[in-house]
Amino acid sequence: MFRLILQRLLALAPLLFIVSVLTFSFTSLLPSDPVDLILGDTGTEEQHEMLRERMGLNEPIHVRYLQWLGRALQGDLGSSYFNSVSVMDAVMQRLPVTLSLTAVSAFIAIVVGVAAGVAAALHPRSWVDRFATLGATFGQAIPNFWFGLILVAIFAVSLRWFPATGFTPITVSPWEWLRSVILPSIALGTSSSAAIARQVRSAMVGVLQQDYVRAARAQGLSARRVLFKHALTNAMIPVVAVLSFQITVLLGGALIVEQVFAINGLGTLAIAAVRQQDIPMLQGLVLVMVGLVVAVQLATDVIYGLLNPKARPT
Amino acid sequence: MTTRPLLEITDLSVTYWGRSLLGLQGKPFFAVKGANLAIRAGETLGLVGESGSGKSSIANTVLGLVPASSGSIRFGDHDLVAMKTRYPSEVRNQIQAVFQDPYSSLNPSMTVEDIVTEPLRVHTNMNKAERRKRAVELLNLVSLQEEHLARHPHQFSGGQRQRIAIASALALRPKLIVLDEPVSALDVSTQNQIINLLYERRDALGIAYLLIAHDLALVHHISDRIAVMYLGYIVEEGPSDRVYKNPAHPYTKALLDAVPLLDPDRQRARRASRKLQPAQDTQRVADVGCPYKNRCPMVMPRCQTETPPEYPVAGGGVANCFLLAPEVGVTHATKPFRQEPIPT
Amino acid sequence: MTVGNAESAGAVGKPWRINASNVLVGVAVSILALLVFLAVFADVIAPYDPLRQNLINSLQGPSARHWLGTDDLGRDVLSRLIYGCRIAVIAAAEATAIAVALGVPIGLFIGYRGGWWDWVVMRIVEAIVSIPGIMVAIVIIAILGPGLHRAMIALGILFSTSFLRLARGVVLAEREEIYVRSARVIGATDSRILFRHIFPNIAPPLIVQVTLTVGAVLLSEAGLSFIGLGVQPPQASWGTMLNTAAAFMQLNWFLSIPPGIAIILTVLSVNLLGDVLRDSIGRGIAAAAPEGRTATFEPSRSAASPAARPETLENEVLRVEGLDVMVGSDPGLPIITDLSFSIAQGETLGLVGESGSGKTMTGLAILGLMGAGLRITRGSIVLDGIDLRCLASAEIEKLRGDEVAMVFQDPTTSLNPAFTVGSQIAEVLRAKQGLSQRQAWERAVALIERVGIPQPEARAKAYPHELSGGMAQRIAIARALSCNPSLLIADEPTTALDVTVQQEILDLFRDLQDEFGMAILFITHDLAVAADICDRISVMYAGEMVEMAGVDTLFHDPKHPYTAGLLSAMPHASDRNPPLPTIRGNVPRPGAWPAGCRFSNRCDFAVATCKQPIALTGGERLVRCVRADQLDLRPGT
Repeated sequence: MFRLILQRLLALAPLLFIVSVLTFSFTSLLPSDPVDLILGDTGTEEQHEMLRERMGLNEPIHVRYLQWLGRALQGDLGSSYFNSVSVMDAVMQRLPVTLSLTAVSAFIAIVVGVAAGVAAALHPRSWVDRFATLGATFGQAIPNFWFGLILVAIFAVSLRWFPATGFTPITVSPWEWLRSVILPSIALGTSSSAAIARQVRSAMVGVLQQDYVRAARAQGLSARRVLFKHALTNAMIPVVAVLSFQITVLLGGALIVEQVFAINGLGTLAIAAVRQQDIPMLQGLVLVMVGLVVAVQLATDVIYGLLNPKARPT
Repeated sequence: MTTRPLLEITDLSVTYWGRSLLGLQGKPFFAVKGANLAIRAGETLGLVGESGSGKSSIANTVLGLVPASSGSIRFGDHDLVAMKTRYPSEVRNQIQAVFQDPYSSLNPSMTVEDIVTEPLRVHTNMNKAERRKRAVELLNLVSLQEEHLARHPHQFSGGQRQRIAIASALALRPKLIVLDEPVSALDVSTQNQIINLLYERRDALGIAYLLIAHDLALVHHISDRIAVMYLGYIVEEGPSDRVYKNPAHPYTKALLDAVPLLDPDRQRARRASRKLQPAQDTQRVADVGCPYKNRCPMVMPRCQTETPPEYPVAGGGVANCFLLAPEVGVTHATKPFRQEPIPT
Repeated sequence: MTVGNAESAGAVGKPWRINASNVLVGVAVSILALLVFLAVFADVIAPYDPLRQNLINSLQGPSARHWLGTDDLGRDVLSRLIYGCRIAVIAAAEATAIAVALGVPIGLFIGYRGGWWDWVVMRIVEAIVSIPGIMVAIVIIAILGPGLHRAMIALGILFSTSFLRLARGVVLAEREEIYVRSARVIGATDSRILFRHIFPNIAPPLIVQVTLTVGAVLLSEAGLSFIGLGVQPPQASWGTMLNTAAAFMQLNWFLSIPPGIAIILTVLSVNLLGDVLRDSIGRGIAAAAPEGRTATFEPSRSAASPAARPETLENEVLRVEGLDVMVGSDPGLPIITDLSFSIAQGETLGLVGESGSGKTMTGLAILGLMGAGLRITRGSIVLDGIDLRCLASAEIEKLRGDEVAMVFQDPTTSLNPAFTVGSQIAEVLRAKQGLSQRQAWERAVALIERVGIPQPEARAKAYPHELSGGMAQRIAIARALSCNPSLLIADEPTTALDVTVQQEILDLFRDLQDEFGMAILFITHDLAVAADICDRISVMYAGEMVEMAGVDTLFHDPKHPYTAGLLSAMPHASDRNPPLPTIRGNVPRPGAWPAGCRFSNRCDFAVATCKQPIALTGGERLVRCVRADQLDLRPGT
């Protein structure tokens, strides 16, 4: 188990390195000079030069990268060009919001997706299968933010079951927290649950044709046991392999869905940052998100290794 | 007997490299070690072995699909190992291949005409009409007709596909064709059709074959010489009849004895003489000693530490077994009584 | 964002859509055609200028003048929707084209080249994919600035990663195909192999990926415009319309409906089209009829033929009588016809035949595990005096393992890769015999030892992929015998093994039979293997039994020309040089069986009467040939 985690961690190291290089290097791709952004048209030539010197912009690019990386590893992602707020503080303050949305929607997506996929695979061509397949097709075609709008109109505005906007931290009230994230999470999780359902169905249909399923049946093991023990364990292997990808999709979707529900998460921060070309903020956002994704990836890799003996280190 | 062989493989080793954690080069794995083989023009050499014996690695190395790690392969006047895997046209067009699985060896998106004439497009300046004419000739050589030209591979049975593959291999009038398990994917009742076809074409066109197979009996039918491989080593080599009827290496004997006989009486007698075997670890043993030492019923102490060299065998050929060493003497049934020059 | 949902869902089964696919494709294509039509002729069709404001008439519901109402600035929603089509088409085309142009060549290149190029590019792709797609788009927009075309460049770059991976994946898969190896042997250059041999095979998945990308682009474009980073107001796009609608949700919720429906219908249409394309491509090759396949259905059996029945044996374990198996729905194709045989305790009956003879299906029919689409239409299967066809599936389930068990051809696929081999044997013992976990494990280890595996405790904890084929097959045999069944069905149990291992396994079968006394139905294509292991042999050809006899009788005095032909065609039958004896022609597939004697079109002894249905005749030995008494087919004569 420990070796498995270590192995996966090592495999993810190049990924983190490349993301950091990509994230850093996009500063130099930006059309505008950060000094011009901060000082605008005001300030003398000397003031510009002084700021440039102070920000270390005159150093060679690899030196700047290493300095930046060193600070980032210590948790210092710099401060916003616009309100001098520490990027780390700003991101950490909003993180629980986006994280709540992503986690709850991921939970919904996995539960609904796996259940629907298995049900459809068990009874091919039945009405369950048709319903699940049709639902999945629709689920993947509905824009999450539009679905959010409709959910608000029905369950918040008309029925008043849930708040239409806003977010309650879980530390304040778990119940209110759940009420505040349930609609956005449904809006967000629908398309992922559709995707997962399709994956589970096709994986399950494939596994059910395998020799070992037939062999287990030939041994007289009950259909239920063969299905849930022998088939599902193997069917989940390819599904788990792409699960972290689905969660990445959810994390990105959260940025948009937050807008529908006027929830102050990373999305609002990102939109403001891109409009202002606030480089440190964008860099910080990307790094934090990649950090999250890598953590999820590590978790799914380990689960994958547990499900699939062939993937374990020898 | 003094003419130089068409293909001469000397001390050939093939090594594959595993992949490490980060997808970089990892541990080495010896697929073939110190192999010596020779094929004369128009001759067929059967290369026999079980899975993992390295026989396909030799085939792939001769074809330039896999680089050799050491040793030499001489083809005519060309040193194939020195060319790495980039053979010039004049070598490529003389060495062709037919592979095992007729279902994946033909490109599903090409027509039969495309497949059969592809070598002509690559190596000749023939125009379309000339190529088509040659394609019809080639199809006739393998008992297919002109009307098959426009069809796609999936419209044919396994045996017919193998005929198409053979037609394509014959297109450039090669001197050597590597046949990698050419009939093992076919139904029993169609296997012999393909064997007969290969045999006829060889005699008519004077082609040499390197025939890779796991079945000694099948190889015996059309080979002039047979080489037997075990876990990366060639353990025996010699004239086809001699190897098949008088095997010298214990492994070759085991291989022959393991093939069930078609005669139930004789099979019963043979069965009575052998005893129940526990499961064997076929994992590769350390690179010291004889590769067969763990399964050999006649294993001797020196087999554990020394790798047996080639010893000449009565009736022709060589075998890598200490039982044939002159000093071992009478313990072995097929003890060489007449020294013969090694034919290569 | 549904970035890359493209990779989801395999081609396996969406069977219901096959029936409905024509209708759905029609609808989907019509919707997309309408979309393009509206986009092209928006200027002519739209009733109003989409940008003309009329603040007096703002936020109105649907009316005769404004079919879909007006927005906050009094602009006609229908007109804006129609102009939105134009944006949607431009967006989809632009982003998809960029994604294809960028992703496919790079993917082809690194896939074929491999090595460092591949490693570096793939790590970069992984890095991009690990950043949420919308964030990548946001960053690219930060560099390029907002606006439709820039946003589409951003999406194009983002989606190029899926095309890159697709192209690379296809190249990697095709590169291992033997036909690519053949092309290299021929001496085709790298670029020729890539473009002539590999590229044609990339087209089908590429088309599917394009449809999926179009759907994803539309959703993403709407999302980006919705948060104000895509199309900029006042230009009309479905995303910006929803942005407006969100702001006025409380005042006029209807504003959100038309653009939402437009997006859903469009994405649904492209996705449906993609699904149907994927399914039809998947079936294209598989379903293509092989040469010579004709739809000649013969009457399954002549009522006049006096079918011989196998004699009743002492200690009979299994008795199959008049079995018919069909595939497909009414009327279906016959796979097995009029099959009868019986096996006694401690006896081994060989079922010998080539591909398509129905021998494997016979084994599965006895177990009641034939799979979808196959059904027994006639006959009886009596095991230990119980007619299995009269039992409910739960009752057959009880018998499986206890009374009848099966060993499959490939031991590496018939053991579950996710569990240790010991636990797979123990599981059967616990489920069928109610042993405790510890008892079951101990018994499993004992069984593993019994089948000749050294160090059984350690081996029990191994996973199937850690064992050699021979060992895995011994494990499979141990599992099959764990509950001491009276019948063991062995389906080509040595075919996937090396010949020296095959001999060990055959000896093991015989040794176990001496101890356990089970009857064995041994299915094989190899007559020599059958000669070694079987007491009696039944030869099958094209779904029916053509001959059955004791093993000595059959080999010394075959009565059916097919049996004789098969015997002489075996590699060990002779040691002479070619030409070797052959049976002309090919094994016919189900549905292409000749009328009358199914071997008649390949038989050297066929006469006119062979065109009539032939009955199985005889007593202790059976043969299905009208000339059985006239022909002397003994080997060597």
